[in-house]
Amino acid sequence: MIKHKPLYQAMQQAVSQTLENMAFTEVLTHFDPDYAIPEAELAWTSLLITDPVQGEIRLAMSKSLLEKLTATIYTLEPEEISPAQSKDILNELLNTIAGLFMTALLEDDQTYAIGLPQIGEGPLPEPEENAIVWKLMTADEDPLQLVAVGTSLVSLNESAQ
Amino acid sequence: MKRIIIADDSATARMFIRRCLEIIGLGEVEYVEVEHGKEALAAAKEKLPDILLTDLNMPVMDGETLLKWVKASPKLCELPVIIITSAGNPAKEAHLLKLGARQVINKPVSPPVMMKALQDFLDN
Repeated sequence: MIKHKPLYQAMQQAVSQTLENMAFTEVLTHFDPDYAIPEAELAWTSLLITDPVQGEIRLAMSKSLLEKLTATIYTLEPEEISPAQSKDILNELLNTIAGLFMTALLEDDQTYAIGLPQIGEGPLPEPEENAIVWKLMTADEDPLQLVAVGTSLVSLNESAQ
Repeated sequence: MKRIIIADDSATARMFIRRCLEIIGLGEVEYVEVEHGKEALAAAKEKLPDILLTDLNMPVMDGETLLKWVKASPKLCELPVIIITSAGNPAKEAHLLKLGARQVINKPVSPPVMMKALQDFLDN
């Protein structure tokens, strides 16, 4: 796994902008780069980038963070939250993050296409060799993680430098 | 009473858009929320709305196809369409404006951005 600056910064900025705007939540780099969200606590979704590069972006977070974000966004008590609302929020967060991320990476005259987010089941897939991983957390130290995979998507990092 | 159609496959996005509209003064409005372009088209044909806000990336019928249908329809062609998308950049915006979109707004939406985009509508 590699960590490049332009791609890395573009994603961190996209996540920060999305969570601050939608849920008034500050996002920081996780203090433990090796931290992994336990499978029993994991909620994740993924989305394909289809044009002009091909790849996939995954967003994972702890179920407790997803519950907090859902409660904040919908102005609900935790016991009032439905699983459908949580899943929809996870998908919409990724949808928004992916759009901001691609806009930051591509030239202004380059259009792009992204697919629809799909909720993941079970453990997060093992990242491929050239995957880029972002280990983040909120100011309350709730963990979230993003993964970008796909050779042509990851290679945008080189053209952005 | 004004009628506004919001098309987005995400209930969260629709709630967000509606909340922004209410904050900028569009509380007393008949809101019609739909999940994709085909439903939006049906709702618009059933009763002409004052404005249509739509996402781009939706199942069944996406926002760009919806925009083309609206602009090709003699009954709906004057309907202002505002695109709210996570997949927007200057190139896409220019393309959508050329197709007839009134405005293109990037997600995440906020009341100030919505206010600016709907200024003409609010003035009227």
